[in-house]
Amino acid sequence: MKISSLTLGATAAACVLGVVLTPRVAAMISDEDFNALKSMVTNQDQRIGQLEKLHEQDQQTHQQDQQTIQQLQQRLGETQTLATNAAQKAEAAAKIQPVYPIPSGTMSALHNFTMAGDAEVQFGRSEGSHSGFVLADFAPIFLFRANDNVLFEAGFDVTLQNSAVSLQNNSQTGNGDAQTAVSLSFAQLDYLYNDYVTLVAGYMVLPLGTYSERAAGWLNKIPDDPLAVDFLPGAGVGAQFRGSLPVGDSGQMVTYSVYGANGPSSVDGSGRATTLDPDGHTIPNISLNGNVGVNADGSSGNLNGNPSGGGRIGWFYPWKPHYDIELGVSGQAGPWDSGGHELWSAAVVDAAMHIGPYAEVKGEYINTWQQTTDAGTLRARGWWIQGAYKLAGLNLDAPVVNDLELVSRYDGVNDGLGTTTDRVTAGIVYYLTNTLLLEGDYEWLHSRGPAALPSNEFVVQLSYGF
Amino acid sequence: MRSTLINKRRVVPAGALALACACLSVVLAHAEPEKKTDQKPAPKKLTGAELYAINCNRCHPERYATEFTSAQWKTIMTHMRVRANLPAAQAKEILKFLQEDAGN
Repeated sequence: MKISSLTLGATAAACVLGVVLTPRVAAMISDEDFNALKSMVTNQDQRIGQLEKLHEQDQQTHQQDQQTIQQLQQRLGETQTLATNAAQKAEAAAKIQPVYPIPSGTMSALHNFTMAGDAEVQFGRSEGSHSGFVLADFAPIFLFRANDNVLFEAGFDVTLQNSAVSLQNNSQTGNGDAQTAVSLSFAQLDYLYNDYVTLVAGYMVLPLGTYSERAAGWLNKIPDDPLAVDFLPGAGVGAQFRGSLPVGDSGQMVTYSVYGANGPSSVDGSGRATTLDPDGHTIPNISLNGNVGVNADGSSGNLNGNPSGGGRIGWFYPWKPHYDIELGVSGQAGPWDSGGHELWSAAVVDAAMHIGPYAEVKGEYINTWQQTTDAGTLRARGWWIQGAYKLAGLNLDAPVVNDLELVSRYDGVNDGLGTTTDRVTAGIVYYLTNTLLLEGDYEWLHSRGPAALPSNEFVVQLSYGF
Repeated sequence: MRSTLINKRRVVPAGALALACACLSVVLAHAEPEKKTDQKPAPKKLTGAELYAINCNRCHPERYATEFTSAQWKTIMTHMRVRANLPAAQAKEILKFLQEDAGN
Protein backbone atom coordinates (compact mmCIF):
# COMPACT_ATOMS: atom_id res chain seq x y z
CA MET A 1 0.00 0.00 0.00
CA LYS A 2 1.32 3.19 -0.82
CA ILE A 3 1.03 6.00 1.64
CA SER A 4 0.77 9.08 -0.18
CA SER A 5 3.27 11.81 0.30
CA LEU A 6 0.48 14.10 1.07
CA THR A 7 -0.54 12.02 4.02
CA LEU A 8 2.99 11.79 5.19
CA GLY A 9 3.45 15.44 4.89
CA ALA A 10 0.26 16.14 6.75
CA THR A 11 1.24 13.72 9.42
CA ALA A 12 4.67 15.32 9.71
CA ALA A 13 3.12 18.73 9.89
CA ALA A 14 0.80 17.50 12.53
CA CYS A 15 3.72 16.15 14.50
CA VAL A 16 5.57 19.38 14.13
CA LEU A 17 2.55 21.35 15.20
CA GLY A 18 2.13 19.01 18.14
CA VAL A 19 5.67 19.54 19.21
CA VAL A 20 5.45 23.28 18.76
CA LEU A 21 2.12 23.75 20.38
CA THR A 22 2.72 21.48 23.41
CA PRO A 23 4.79 24.05 25.41
CA ARG A 24 2.17 26.65 24.74
CA VAL A 25 -0.36 24.36 26.17
CA ALA A 26 1.94 23.51 29.15
CA ALA A 27 2.52 27.23 29.83
CA MET A 28 -1.06 28.00 30.39
CA ILE A 29 -1.90 28.51 34.23
CA SER A 30 -5.16 28.71 35.94
CA ASP A 31 -6.79 31.94 37.03
CA GLU A 32 -6.39 31.06 40.66
CA ASP A 33 -2.71 30.64 40.39
CA PHE A 34 -2.41 33.88 38.47
CA ASN A 35 -4.39 35.74 41.05
CA ALA A 36 -2.26 34.25 43.80
CA LEU A 37 0.87 35.27 42.01
CA LYS A 38 -0.47 38.73 41.45
CA SER A 39 -1.36 39.04 45.10
CA MET A 40 2.12 37.95 46.10
CA VAL A 41 3.74 40.50 43.84
CA THR A 42 1.51 43.20 45.23
CA ASN A 43 2.47 42.27 48.79
CA GLN A 44 6.14 42.32 47.90
CA ASP A 45 5.73 45.79 46.47
CA GLN A 46 4.16 46.97 49.68
CA ARG A 47 6.93 45.51 51.80
CA ILE A 48 9.58 47.06 49.64
CA GLY A 49 7.86 50.39 50.06
CA GLN A 50 7.83 50.01 53.86
CA LEU A 51 11.51 49.07 53.96
CA GLU A 52 12.37 52.09 51.88
CA LYS A 53 10.53 54.31 54.33
CA LEU A 54 12.35 52.71 57.30
CA HIS A 55 15.65 53.23 55.57
CA GLU A 56 14.88 56.87 55.11
CA GLN A 57 14.02 57.19 58.79
CA ASP A 58 17.25 55.47 59.81
CA GLN A 59 19.20 57.81 57.67
CA GLN A 60 17.53 60.78 59.32
CA THR A 61 18.27 59.36 62.79
CA HIS A 62 21.89 58.80 61.85
CA GLN A 63 22.19 62.38 60.71
CA GLN A 64 20.72 63.56 63.99
CA ASP A 65 23.18 61.41 65.96
CA GLN A 66 26.05 62.85 64.01
CA GLN A 67 24.87 66.35 64.85
CA THR A 68 24.56 65.45 68.54
CA ILE A 69 28.07 64.01 68.59
CA GLN A 70 29.44 67.17 67.07
CA GLN A 71 27.66 69.25 69.68
CA LEU A 72 29.03 67.13 72.54
CA GLN A 73 32.54 67.36 71.17
CA GLN A 74 32.22 71.07 71.03
CA ARG A 75 31.02 71.24 74.63
CA LEU A 76 33.88 68.98 75.76
CA GLY A 77 36.33 71.30 74.19
CA GLU A 78 34.77 74.24 75.97
CA THR A 79 34.85 72.40 79.34
CA GLN A 80 38.54 71.57 78.98
CA THR A 81 39.26 75.17 78.22
CA LEU A 82 37.37 76.24 81.35
CA ALA A 83 39.28 73.74 83.50
CA THR A 84 42.62 74.92 82.19
CA ASN A 85 41.67 78.51 82.88
CA ALA A 86 40.55 77.63 86.41
CA ALA A 87 43.84 75.88 87.19
CA GLN A 88 45.78 78.84 85.91
CA LYS A 89 43.69 81.20 88.02
CA ALA A 90 44.21 79.07 91.12
CA GLU A 91 47.95 79.03 90.55
CA ALA A 92 47.98 82.75 90.12
CA ALA A 93 45.92 83.22 93.29
CA ALA A 94 48.39 81.15 95.33
CA LYS A 95 51.19 83.50 94.34
CA ILE A 96 49.40 86.51 95.63
CA GLN A 97 50.89 87.50 98.98
CA PRO A 98 48.42 88.52 101.65
CA VAL A 99 48.73 92.02 102.89
CA TYR A 100 49.49 90.76 106.43
CA PRO A 101 51.44 87.50 106.84
CA ILE A 102 49.25 84.82 108.31
CA PRO A 103 51.04 83.18 111.23
CA SER A 104 51.14 79.39 111.37
CA GLY A 105 48.70 77.57 113.61
CA THR A 106 46.00 80.17 113.32
CA MET A 107 43.43 77.57 114.22
CA SER A 108 44.93 77.10 117.69
CA ALA A 109 46.13 79.65 120.18
CA LEU A 110 49.81 80.52 120.10
CA HIS A 111 50.06 80.53 123.89
CA ASN A 112 49.48 77.48 125.97
CA PHE A 113 50.10 76.65 129.60
CA THR A 114 50.37 73.04 130.59
CA MET A 115 51.40 71.41 133.83
CA ALA A 116 53.08 68.04 133.93
CA GLY A 117 55.19 66.32 136.56
CA ASP A 118 54.96 63.54 139.07
CA ALA A 119 54.42 62.72 142.72
CA GLU A 120 55.77 59.93 144.91
CA VAL A 121 54.78 58.47 148.25
CA GLN A 122 57.14 56.03 149.88
CA PHE A 123 57.17 53.55 152.69
CA GLY A 124 60.56 52.33 153.63
CA ARG A 125 63.12 51.46 156.18
CA SER A 126 66.84 51.74 156.26
CA GLU A 127 69.03 50.00 158.79
CA GLY A 128 69.14 51.81 162.10
CA SER A 129 65.91 53.70 161.43
CA HIS A 130 62.26 53.03 161.98
CA SER A 131 60.10 52.25 159.03
CA GLY A 132 57.71 54.94 158.01
CA PHE A 133 55.80 56.73 155.27
CA VAL A 134 57.41 59.62 153.40
CA LEU A 135 55.99 62.09 150.92
CA ALA A 136 59.02 61.60 148.84
CA ASP A 137 58.36 64.25 146.24
CA PHE A 138 55.79 66.39 144.52
CA ALA A 139 57.49 67.57 141.37
CA PRO A 140 55.34 69.77 139.14
CA ILE A 141 56.70 70.96 135.81
CA PHE A 142 55.24 74.15 134.39
CA LEU A 143 55.36 74.51 130.63
CA PHE A 144 54.48 77.80 128.99
CA ARG A 145 54.58 77.84 125.20
CA ALA A 146 54.80 81.39 123.89
CA ASN A 147 54.72 80.37 120.25
CA ASP A 148 55.99 77.60 118.01
CA ASN A 149 59.62 78.40 118.83
CA VAL A 150 59.64 79.59 122.44
CA LEU A 151 59.03 77.55 125.55
CA PHE A 152 59.61 78.43 129.19
CA GLU A 153 59.74 75.45 131.51
CA ALA A 154 60.35 75.13 135.23
CA GLY A 155 60.36 72.18 137.59
CA PHE A 156 60.05 72.15 141.35
CA ASP A 157 60.57 69.61 144.08
CA VAL A 158 58.21 70.00 147.02
CA THR A 159 59.13 67.84 149.97
CA LEU A 160 58.23 67.56 153.63
CA GLN A 161 60.70 67.28 156.43
CA ASN A 162 60.66 67.85 160.15
CA SER A 163 62.02 71.14 161.30
CA ALA A 164 65.06 71.12 163.56
CA VAL A 165 64.47 72.17 167.14
CA SER A 166 67.26 72.92 169.53
CA LEU A 167 66.90 71.07 172.81
CA GLN A 168 68.04 72.46 176.10
CA ASN A 169 69.88 69.41 177.35
CA ASN A 170 73.28 68.84 175.75
CA SER A 171 72.35 71.25 172.98
CA GLN A 172 70.87 68.41 171.03
CA THR A 173 68.68 68.97 168.03
CA GLY A 174 65.18 67.57 168.06
CA ASN A 175 62.43 67.26 165.51
CA GLY A 176 59.77 69.92 165.38
CA ASP A 177 56.76 70.44 163.19
CA ALA A 178 56.74 69.47 159.60
CA GLN A 179 57.94 72.05 157.20
CA THR A 180 57.66 72.25 153.46
CA ALA A 181 60.78 72.50 151.43
CA VAL A 182 60.48 73.82 147.90
CA SER A 183 63.46 73.69 145.63
CA LEU A 184 63.79 74.66 142.03
CA SER A 185 65.07 71.72 140.02
CA PHE A 186 65.28 73.68 136.79
CA ALA A 187 63.95 76.85 135.15
CA GLN A 188 65.01 77.46 131.60
CA LEU A 189 63.99 79.33 128.50
CA ASP A 190 64.11 77.31 125.27
CA TYR A 191 64.35 79.04 121.91
CA LEU A 192 64.10 76.69 118.93
CA TYR A 193 66.25 78.71 116.55
CA ASN A 194 65.94 76.24 113.66
CA ASP A 195 65.57 72.52 113.03
CA TYR A 196 69.07 71.80 114.31
CA VAL A 197 69.83 74.39 117.00
CA THR A 198 67.99 75.18 120.21
CA LEU A 199 69.21 77.84 122.61
CA VAL A 200 68.61 77.10 126.29
CA ALA A 201 69.29 79.58 129.06
CA GLY A 202 68.59 79.69 132.78
CA TYR A 203 68.92 77.11 135.50
CA MET A 204 69.36 74.26 133.08
CA VAL A 205 69.33 70.52 133.43
CA LEU A 206 72.92 69.68 132.51
CA PRO A 207 73.61 67.00 129.88
CA LEU A 208 76.20 65.10 131.92
CA GLY A 209 75.23 61.55 131.10
CA THR A 210 71.53 60.98 130.50
CA TYR A 211 70.21 60.11 133.97
CA SER A 212 69.59 63.69 135.07
CA GLU A 213 67.79 64.66 131.88
CA ARG A 214 65.60 61.55 131.85
CA ALA A 215 64.95 61.08 135.56
CA ALA A 216 61.62 61.51 137.26
CA GLY A 217 59.81 59.57 139.93
CA TRP A 218 57.56 57.76 137.51
CA LEU A 219 60.35 57.19 135.00
CA ASN A 220 62.85 55.67 137.41
CA LYS A 221 62.08 52.03 137.96
CA ILE A 222 64.03 52.06 141.21
CA PRO A 223 63.13 54.77 143.76
CA ASP A 224 66.73 55.63 144.69
CA ASP A 225 69.07 57.29 142.22
CA PRO A 226 72.35 55.62 141.31
CA LEU A 227 75.01 56.49 143.88
CA ALA A 228 77.48 57.96 141.37
CA VAL A 229 74.98 60.54 140.10
CA ASP A 230 75.63 62.49 143.32
CA PHE A 231 79.12 63.30 142.02
CA LEU A 232 77.65 65.38 139.17
CA PRO A 233 75.81 68.71 139.16
CA GLY A 234 72.32 67.92 137.94
CA ALA A 235 71.62 71.51 136.99
CA GLY A 236 73.53 74.74 136.58
CA VAL A 237 72.93 78.37 135.72
CA GLY A 238 74.18 79.15 132.24
CA ALA A 239 73.41 78.91 128.55
CA GLN A 240 73.45 76.00 126.16
CA PHE A 241 73.17 75.14 122.48
CA ARG A 242 71.72 71.73 121.75
CA GLY A 243 70.22 69.89 118.85
CA SER A 244 70.00 66.77 116.80
CA LEU A 245 71.27 65.80 113.38
CA PRO A 246 69.29 63.00 111.75
CA VAL A 247 71.28 60.42 109.80
CA GLY A 248 69.24 58.88 107.01
CA ASP A 249 65.60 57.97 107.37
CA SER A 250 65.87 55.07 109.81
CA GLY A 251 65.67 57.20 112.94
CA GLN A 252 69.41 57.24 113.47
CA MET A 253 70.72 60.53 114.84
CA VAL A 254 73.68 62.30 116.35
CA THR A 255 72.84 64.63 119.23
CA TYR A 256 74.95 67.39 120.70
CA SER A 257 74.90 69.79 123.62
CA VAL A 258 77.40 72.54 124.36
CA TYR A 259 77.04 74.75 127.40
CA GLY A 260 78.63 77.23 129.72
CA ALA A 261 77.65 77.46 133.38
CA ASN A 262 78.89 78.97 136.63
CA GLY A 263 80.13 75.56 137.74
CA PRO A 264 80.79 74.10 141.21
CA SER A 265 81.94 76.27 144.05
CA SER A 266 83.88 76.02 147.32
CA VAL A 267 81.87 75.90 150.57
CA ASP A 268 84.37 77.98 152.49
CA GLY A 269 85.93 79.64 149.44
CA SER A 270 89.25 77.83 149.78
CA GLY A 271 90.71 75.11 147.65
CA ARG A 272 90.92 72.61 150.49
CA ALA A 273 89.38 69.18 150.08
CA THR A 274 87.19 69.29 153.20
CA THR A 275 85.72 71.75 155.66
CA LEU A 276 83.72 71.58 158.90
CA ASP A 277 79.97 72.02 159.27
CA PRO A 278 78.43 73.90 162.25
CA ASP A 279 78.42 70.66 164.26
CA GLY A 280 82.07 70.11 163.64
CA HIS A 281 81.58 67.26 161.23
CA THR A 282 83.93 67.00 158.29
CA ILE A 283 82.18 67.52 155.02
CA PRO A 284 83.37 67.84 151.42
CA ASN A 285 84.36 71.43 150.61
CA ILE A 286 82.68 71.49 147.21
CA SER A 287 79.12 72.45 146.32
CA LEU A 288 78.15 71.14 142.93
CA ASN A 289 74.88 73.08 142.56
CA GLY A 290 75.45 76.06 144.82
CA ASN A 291 76.94 78.57 142.43
CA VAL A 292 73.85 80.35 141.15
CA GLY A 293 75.26 83.81 140.58
CA VAL A 294 73.64 85.54 143.58
CA ASN A 295 75.33 85.12 146.94
CA ALA A 296 73.84 84.81 150.40
CA ASP A 297 74.71 88.43 151.14
CA GLY A 298 72.88 89.59 148.03
CA SER A 299 75.94 90.31 145.99
CA SER A 300 76.02 88.90 142.49
CA GLY A 301 78.79 87.13 140.71
CA ASN A 302 80.41 83.82 140.09
CA LEU A 303 81.87 82.22 143.20
CA ASN A 304 84.89 80.98 141.33
CA GLY A 305 87.25 82.63 138.94
CA ASN A 306 85.71 81.65 135.61
CA PRO A 307 82.63 79.80 134.31
CA SER A 308 82.81 76.13 133.48
CA GLY A 309 82.19 74.63 130.07
CA GLY A 310 80.86 71.27 129.05
CA GLY A 311 78.91 69.25 126.55
CA ARG A 312 77.71 65.89 125.37
CA ILE A 313 77.76 64.14 122.06
CA GLY A 314 75.58 61.11 121.53
CA TRP A 315 74.78 58.59 118.85
CA PHE A 316 71.47 56.81 118.62
CA TYR A 317 70.77 53.95 116.26
CA PRO A 318 67.46 52.07 116.03
CA TRP A 319 67.41 49.06 113.76
CA LYS A 320 63.68 48.85 114.29
CA PRO A 321 61.14 50.13 116.84
CA HIS A 322 62.01 48.92 120.33
CA TYR A 323 65.42 47.70 119.18
CA ASP A 324 68.04 50.39 119.57
CA ILE A 325 71.33 51.42 121.07
CA GLU A 326 72.54 54.78 122.32
CA LEU A 327 76.07 55.78 123.26
CA GLY A 328 77.19 59.10 124.65
CA VAL A 329 80.23 60.89 125.99
CA SER A 330 79.96 64.04 128.08
CA GLY A 331 82.10 66.19 130.29
CA GLN A 332 82.56 69.48 132.08
CA ALA A 333 85.59 71.39 133.32
CA GLY A 334 86.22 74.67 135.13
CA PRO A 335 87.58 76.20 138.34
CA TRP A 336 85.74 75.58 141.61
CA ASP A 337 87.50 77.56 144.28
CA SER A 338 86.97 81.28 144.72
CA GLY A 339 90.52 81.99 143.61
CA GLY A 340 89.91 80.23 140.32
CA HIS A 341 93.10 78.17 140.60
CA GLU A 342 91.80 74.67 141.28
CA LEU A 343 90.06 72.79 138.51
CA TRP A 344 87.04 70.53 138.77
CA SER A 345 86.23 68.29 135.83
CA ALA A 346 84.02 65.36 135.03
CA ALA A 347 83.72 62.77 132.29
CA VAL A 348 80.77 60.47 131.75
CA VAL A 349 80.24 57.60 129.37
CA ASP A 350 76.64 56.50 129.00
CA ALA A 351 75.04 53.62 127.13
CA ALA A 352 71.55 52.23 126.73
CA MET A 353 70.10 49.39 124.74
CA HIS A 354 66.57 48.14 124.11
CA ILE A 355 66.16 44.58 122.95
CA GLY A 356 62.52 44.43 122.04
CA PRO A 357 59.61 46.08 123.80
CA TYR A 358 60.23 44.15 127.02
CA ALA A 359 63.95 44.31 127.78
CA GLU A 360 66.36 47.14 128.38
CA VAL A 361 69.80 47.64 129.85
CA LYS A 362 71.54 50.94 130.53
CA GLY A 363 74.35 52.37 132.57
CA GLU A 364 76.93 55.07 133.07
CA TYR A 365 80.53 55.39 134.13
CA ILE A 366 81.25 58.64 135.94
CA ASN A 367 84.66 60.02 136.80
CA THR A 368 85.45 63.38 138.39
CA TRP A 369 88.68 65.13 139.23
CA GLN A 370 88.90 67.84 141.88
CA GLN A 371 92.20 69.58 142.31
CA THR A 372 92.78 70.66 145.92
CA THR A 373 95.42 72.64 147.73
CA ASP A 374 95.89 70.09 150.50
CA ALA A 375 94.95 66.63 149.23
CA GLY A 376 96.09 66.53 145.66
CA THR A 377 93.49 65.61 143.05
CA LEU A 378 90.45 63.86 144.44
CA ARG A 379 88.79 61.36 142.15
CA ALA A 380 85.20 60.76 143.06
CA ARG A 381 84.01 58.13 140.66
CA GLY A 382 81.47 55.43 140.18
CA TRP A 383 79.33 53.46 137.81
CA TRP A 384 75.96 51.86 137.55
CA ILE A 385 74.29 49.32 135.31
CA GLN A 386 70.59 48.56 135.34
CA GLY A 387 68.52 45.95 133.57
CA ALA A 388 64.77 45.59 133.36
CA TYR A 389 62.41 43.04 131.86
CA LYS A 390 58.65 43.28 131.42
CA LEU A 391 57.02 39.92 132.15
CA ALA A 392 54.52 40.53 129.36
CA GLY A 393 57.31 39.27 127.14
CA LEU A 394 56.73 35.77 128.47
CA ASN A 395 53.28 35.71 126.79
CA LEU A 396 51.75 34.01 129.79
CA ASP A 397 48.36 35.64 129.21
CA ALA A 398 48.04 36.35 132.92
CA PRO A 399 46.61 39.80 133.68
CA VAL A 400 48.67 40.67 136.77
CA VAL A 401 51.88 39.12 135.49
CA ASN A 402 51.65 41.07 132.23
CA ASP A 403 51.77 44.32 134.21
CA LEU A 404 54.90 43.42 136.16
CA GLU A 405 58.44 44.44 135.39
CA LEU A 406 61.55 43.05 137.07
CA VAL A 407 64.43 45.47 137.55
CA SER A 408 67.89 45.18 139.01
CA ARG A 409 70.77 47.57 139.42
CA TYR A 410 74.38 47.12 140.40
CA ASP A 411 76.31 50.26 141.30
CA GLY A 412 79.53 51.16 143.01
CA VAL A 413 81.22 54.39 144.07
CA ASN A 414 84.42 55.72 145.56
CA ASP A 415 83.96 59.24 146.90
CA GLY A 416 87.64 60.04 146.72
CA LEU A 417 87.71 60.77 150.43
CA GLY A 418 88.07 57.21 151.62
CA THR A 419 84.54 55.83 151.41
CA THR A 420 83.57 53.12 148.96
CA THR A 421 80.14 51.63 148.52
CA ASP A 422 78.82 48.74 146.48
CA ARG A 423 75.13 48.16 146.16
CA VAL A 424 72.90 45.55 144.62
CA THR A 425 69.25 46.45 144.16
CA ALA A 426 66.48 44.06 143.21
CA GLY A 427 63.11 45.51 142.49
CA ILE A 428 59.77 44.97 140.89
CA VAL A 429 57.37 47.42 139.28
CA TYR A 430 53.63 46.92 138.96
CA TYR A 431 51.95 49.17 136.40
CA LEU A 432 48.53 50.02 137.78
CA THR A 433 48.11 52.28 134.74
CA ASN A 434 50.54 53.58 132.17
CA THR A 435 51.67 56.32 134.59
CA LEU A 436 50.74 54.95 138.02
CA LEU A 437 53.49 52.67 139.26
CA LEU A 438 53.85 50.64 142.42
CA GLU A 439 57.53 49.97 142.93
CA GLY A 440 59.31 47.95 145.53
CA ASP A 441 62.95 47.20 145.94
CA TYR A 442 65.46 45.87 148.42
CA GLU A 443 68.99 47.20 148.50
CA TRP A 444 72.04 45.35 149.78
CA LEU A 445 74.79 47.85 150.54
CA HIS A 446 78.36 47.21 151.48
CA SER A 447 79.86 50.54 152.49
CA ARG A 448 83.21 51.20 154.11
CA GLY A 449 84.83 54.46 155.17
CA PRO A 450 84.17 57.63 157.11
CA ALA A 451 80.92 58.32 155.23
CA ALA A 452 79.68 54.74 155.10
CA LEU A 453 76.00 54.28 154.28
CA PRO A 454 73.54 52.04 156.14
CA SER A 455 73.75 48.42 155.13
CA ASN A 456 70.42 47.49 153.76
CA GLU A 457 67.11 49.13 153.10
CA PHE A 458 63.82 48.46 151.46
CA VAL A 459 61.50 50.94 149.82
CA VAL A 460 57.99 50.70 148.47
CA GLN A 461 56.91 53.63 146.35
CA LEU A 462 53.70 54.68 144.66
CA SER A 463 54.56 57.01 141.83
CA TYR A 464 52.24 58.90 139.52
CA GLY A 465 53.22 60.78 136.40
CA PHE A 466 50.87 63.47 135.08
CA MET B 1 97.39 -0.07 51.69
CA ARG B 2 95.28 2.58 53.24
CA SER B 3 97.26 5.03 55.20
CA THR B 4 96.54 4.99 58.91
CA LEU B 5 97.32 8.66 59.09
CA ILE B 6 94.43 10.98 59.51
CA ASN B 7 93.45 12.75 56.35
CA LYS B 8 95.12 16.12 56.68
CA ARG B 9 92.64 17.79 54.43
CA ARG B 10 89.97 17.17 57.01
CA VAL B 11 92.11 17.74 60.12
CA VAL B 12 93.04 21.34 59.39
CA PRO B 13 89.57 22.79 59.01
CA ALA B 14 88.26 20.60 61.80
CA GLY B 15 91.07 21.71 64.05
CA ALA B 16 90.46 25.33 63.23
CA LEU B 17 86.84 24.86 64.08
CA ALA B 18 87.69 23.15 67.33
CA LEU B 19 90.11 25.93 68.22
CA ALA B 20 87.52 28.53 67.45
CA CYS B 21 85.01 26.74 69.65
CA ALA B 22 87.51 26.50 72.45
CA CYS B 23 88.30 30.19 72.24
CA LEU B 24 84.68 31.06 72.17
CA SER B 25 83.94 28.95 75.22
CA VAL B 26 86.76 30.63 77.13
CA VAL B 27 85.49 34.02 76.19
CA LEU B 28 81.97 33.13 77.23
CA ALA B 29 83.11 31.70 80.54
CA HIS B 30 84.82 34.94 81.51
CA ALA B 31 82.21 37.22 80.12
CA GLU B 32 80.59 39.33 82.85
CA PRO B 33 76.91 38.81 83.20
CA GLU B 34 74.79 41.67 82.12
CA LYS B 35 74.65 44.07 84.96
CA LYS B 36 71.18 44.70 86.14
CA THR B 37 70.59 48.25 87.04
CA ASP B 38 70.36 48.18 90.81
CA GLN B 39 67.55 50.30 91.83
CA LYS B 40 67.42 50.59 95.54
CA PRO B 41 63.90 50.86 96.71
CA ALA B 42 63.10 54.26 98.02
CA PRO B 43 63.65 54.35 101.79
CA LYS B 44 60.38 54.06 103.61
CA LYS B 45 59.60 57.13 105.66
CA LEU B 46 58.94 56.33 109.28
CA THR B 47 55.40 57.02 110.40
CA GLY B 48 54.51 59.02 113.47
CA ALA B 49 53.56 55.82 115.28
CA GLU B 50 56.91 54.23 114.49
CA LEU B 51 58.82 57.33 115.54
CA TYR B 52 56.82 57.38 118.76
CA ALA B 53 57.80 53.78 119.46
CA ILE B 54 61.44 54.45 118.58
CA ASN B 55 61.92 57.61 120.62
CA CYS B 56 59.30 57.93 123.31
CA ASN B 57 59.11 54.39 124.64
CA ARG B 58 62.83 54.51 125.36
CA CYS B 59 62.33 56.54 128.50
CA HIS B 60 58.75 56.24 129.64
CA PRO B 61 55.61 54.15 129.26
CA GLU B 62 53.28 55.03 126.46
CA ARG B 63 51.20 58.17 126.94
CA TYR B 64 47.85 57.85 125.21
CA ALA B 65 46.90 60.51 122.73
CA THR B 66 43.59 61.12 124.49
CA GLU B 67 45.35 62.16 127.71
CA PHE B 68 45.90 65.69 126.44
CA THR B 69 44.33 68.14 124.06
CA SER B 70 45.87 69.05 120.75
CA ALA B 71 47.25 72.33 122.11
CA GLN B 72 48.70 70.60 125.16
CA TRP B 73 50.39 68.02 123.00
CA LYS B 74 52.04 70.83 121.05
CA THR B 75 53.45 72.26 124.27
CA ILE B 76 54.50 68.89 125.63
CA MET B 77 56.18 67.90 122.37
CA THR B 78 58.14 71.16 122.36
CA HIS B 79 59.35 70.28 125.85
CA MET B 80 60.19 66.74 124.78
CA ARG B 81 61.95 67.88 121.63
CA VAL B 82 64.30 69.95 123.80
CA ARG B 83 64.67 67.43 126.64
CA ALA B 84 65.18 64.35 124.45
CA ASN B 85 67.03 66.24 121.69
CA LEU B 86 64.66 65.00 119.00
CA PRO B 87 65.15 65.96 115.35
CA ALA B 88 62.65 68.62 114.33
CA ALA B 89 61.07 66.58 111.54
CA GLN B 90 60.58 63.57 113.81
CA ALA B 91 59.08 65.71 116.55
CA LYS B 92 56.59 67.14 114.06
CA GLU B 93 55.57 63.69 112.86
CA ILE B 94 55.10 62.46 116.40
CA LEU B 95 53.03 65.53 117.21
CA LYS B 96 50.84 64.93 114.18
CA PHE B 97 50.36 61.32 115.27
CA LEU B 98 49.30 62.38 118.75
CA GLN B 99 47.08 65.23 117.65
CA GLU B 100 45.07 62.94 115.37
CA ASP B 101 43.54 61.25 118.40
CA ALA B 102 43.96 64.01 120.96
CA GLY B 103 41.34 64.52 123.62
CA ASN B 104 38.92 67.41 123.67
